[in-house]
Amino acid sequence: MVPSPVALRRLIHRVTAVGFGDATGFEAGTLSASRPELEALVADPALTSVRLSWVSPGDSARIVKVLDAVEPRSKGPKGGAFPGFVSPAKVQGRGETHVLRGAAVVAAGFLPRAQEALVEMSGPAAELSPLGLTHNLVVEFEPAEGAAWENVDAALRRGMLRVAARLADATAAAGAPPDEVEEIATPGPRSGQGPLPRVGAITNLQTQGAFKDVFFYGHSLAGSPPVAIDACEIDDGAIVSGQYGHPALRNPTYVHQNNPVVAALRAADTATLEFAGLILSPEPVDQAAKELTAAHTARLCAALGWDAAIITKEGGGNADSDNSLKMDALEEVGILGVGLFSEMSGPDGNAPPLVSPPSTATAMVSTGNYDERLQLPAVEKAYGAERFALLDVDASAAMEVPTAVIVAALSPLGWGKLTASGADMVSE
Amino acid sequence: MKVVHYINQFFAGIGGEDKASTLPASREGAVGPGRKLAAALAAEGHELVATVYCGDDYAASERNAPAEILALATEAGAELLIAGPAFGSGRYGIACARVAAAASAAGIPALAAMDPSNPGVPEVAPAVAVNSGDAARHMGDALTKMAAAAAVLAKGGTPGEAEGVIGGASAGARRNSLAPLTAAQRAVLLALSRLAGGKTTEIKLPDFGHVAPAAPIADPREAVVAILTEGALVPFGNPDRLESARAKHWFRYPLTGRDTMAAGEFQSVHGGFSTVVANADPNRLLPLDVAREMEASGEIKALHPDYLVTAGNGTGVADATHFGVEWAAELRRAGVQAAILTAT
Repeated sequence: MVPSPVALRRLIHRVTAVGFGDATGFEAGTLSASRPELEALVADPALTSVRLSWVSPGDSARIVKVLDAVEPRSKGPKGGAFPGFVSPAKVQGRGETHVLRGAAVVAAGFLPRAQEALVEMSGPAAELSPLGLTHNLVVEFEPAEGAAWENVDAALRRGMLRVAARLADATAAAGAPPDEVEEIATPGPRSGQGPLPRVGAITNLQTQGAFKDVFFYGHSLAGSPPVAIDACEIDDGAIVSGQYGHPALRNPTYVHQNNPVVAALRAADTATLEFAGLILSPEPVDQAAKELTAAHTARLCAALGWDAAIITKEGGGNADSDNSLKMDALEEVGILGVGLFSEMSGPDGNAPPLVSPPSTATAMVSTGNYDERLQLPAVEKAYGAERFALLDVDASAAMEVPTAVIVAALSPLGWGKLTASGADMVSE
Repeated sequence: MKVVHYINQFFAGIGGEDKASTLPASREGAVGPGRKLAAALAAEGHELVATVYCGDDYAASERNAPAEILALATEAGAELLIAGPAFGSGRYGIACARVAAAASAAGIPALAAMDPSNPGVPEVAPAVAVNSGDAARHMGDALTKMAAAAAVLAKGGTPGEAEGVIGGASAGARRNSLAPLTAAQRAVLLALSRLAGGKTTEIKLPDFGHVAPAAPIADPREAVVAILTEGALVPFGNPDRLESARAKHWFRYPLTGRDTMAAGEFQSVHGGFSTVVANADPNRLLPLDVAREMEASGEIKALHPDYLVTAGNGTGVADATHFGVEWAAELRRAGVQAAILTAT
């Protein structure tokens, strides 16, 4: 099979150390941030103050009230990263993209509707979150008195995306050769050229209004039918999360930028399958719209000649039904749907794992049980807040928490290796 | 050993749903299914000395019911307690679980028999749960397993899979572990395997069973109606600390003397939706204003004096089932004929 032409080159700069300095820049693996410069990028009438701190893997540290996280990326001097926020909303996904791998900008603090979320930088739970493994520039903030929370949220999002873009822009400007270059393609329709099955990704985006929404080129997908996009666009930050519900079942911007299903399909492309593309779908809030969206998605997959789809969600039980309805709708048109689900099997793992399972389809992958308890040791320093609201304890204290509170620990997009299994593991 | 058997009002021959509020009582010797159980126990040298029974509504909704039942069992000389089999019946299962757990905590070895899907299973510990199957057609097998498990308990042992033990940290529990590949990579492999004719999955489709909807009430003007919500509407300040997500509790608050759910006196602590509109007029979560109008005009006979509330946000199926069984038992005991449960 003939590989598709290269569409986008990722210039990977590996971040191995971080710190603050007089200027923002990158040299020999060390990412340096100028506090005044970056804090000015976040400044906004809706925010009284902003505080930046670095935390690194292995630190005796914890971040609580985690909101979103972004991987620093840059399109170079012409710009284009994070379209709709940092750059104009113009279609992206071509040319070159600088990637600061191993770093993230992480916003943490109180917003309404945000559920208490934490990241451990060391200890047994660190490896459960993608953000436990990155050097994190933590953005803490104080809202301005009287500012509408929606404005605080918007200011924070703009600010953290600007900071992420600035870190990567500075790296690009420093001119150091990348540690690695990854070339990715946008496979066109190759049906009939070979015997390989065409398998694509369906990424459901949560669309539940303020603080529970995800943006595509700056706009919510609420009310939209499912849409097929060029998978390279997400590399440049076309998808930005503003979704702060269910911490473990959350897809931060960072995970969208590195969509694990798309990555796994690319890795298998031309070897065992044809990567057939990426469909984005909203998660409507009413049943009729969920069913219509599922039916439209199945039609779209059929029109694109897919043999199978990997379906992912964002959120809890309500979002399970979006996965399940799509799996059933795909089966109805003769296309295989494989759904990724997190389980709600209770602290002891004895309860039914799903709230809203498919009716006829059965191919499911488990990203783990969100009720299982974790023992977190005390840490020296906590960021995001002084108290851990869920348990009303000091944020740096030793605590027992459900896996559900660790950011992206049960990554609905399939980032993690966590799974749950028991004696009921069966061949259908 | 002296064994006391706990069963519900139906298996004790007292009556069906119309007798579900029957108070705890005791009889000498075996009753109903206890006769076959007694024979099997006698073969191991144990004597079924008494049967304690109770109505399901009372047993599942009265806070002191398990203690009262245990007191009757102790009075009868219980050295070992056997509860059930409850099969798939929720209230009966919860009652068996609580009675067995209370006995076990008091130092009396105990077991409760029910289906693994019964909402009572999580409450059996520290007693032993035995798999009874889901319906009374499994009665014979269930009693055999219960007697076998009781024989092991009587010897100071721990019954296991051979005696049909379920629950607790049983082998069936689903536990987290790290796989060699990410979930995304496993999904791709599963897709390829399925396309090649494979049948595997990482999650077995759960069987929630089926709840037959109740028949419509004949005349609403004769009905006591309750209003309930999963919208986490609680007195302002959330004095009982209802969880905003993954609720493990539900609460009961009085409506007596109120004609409306006033803004500022109640608030929703639900973590799954924007509560701004609900808090501006809590009647829209719990329609007390309209319910009082209907009560005054005679469209309904009366409104139940309390409302029941939990947070339906990431709530596990087992917890939700449990709440449902407890609510049903409480409302039936109170003579409620219909309930309106608002969902968010």
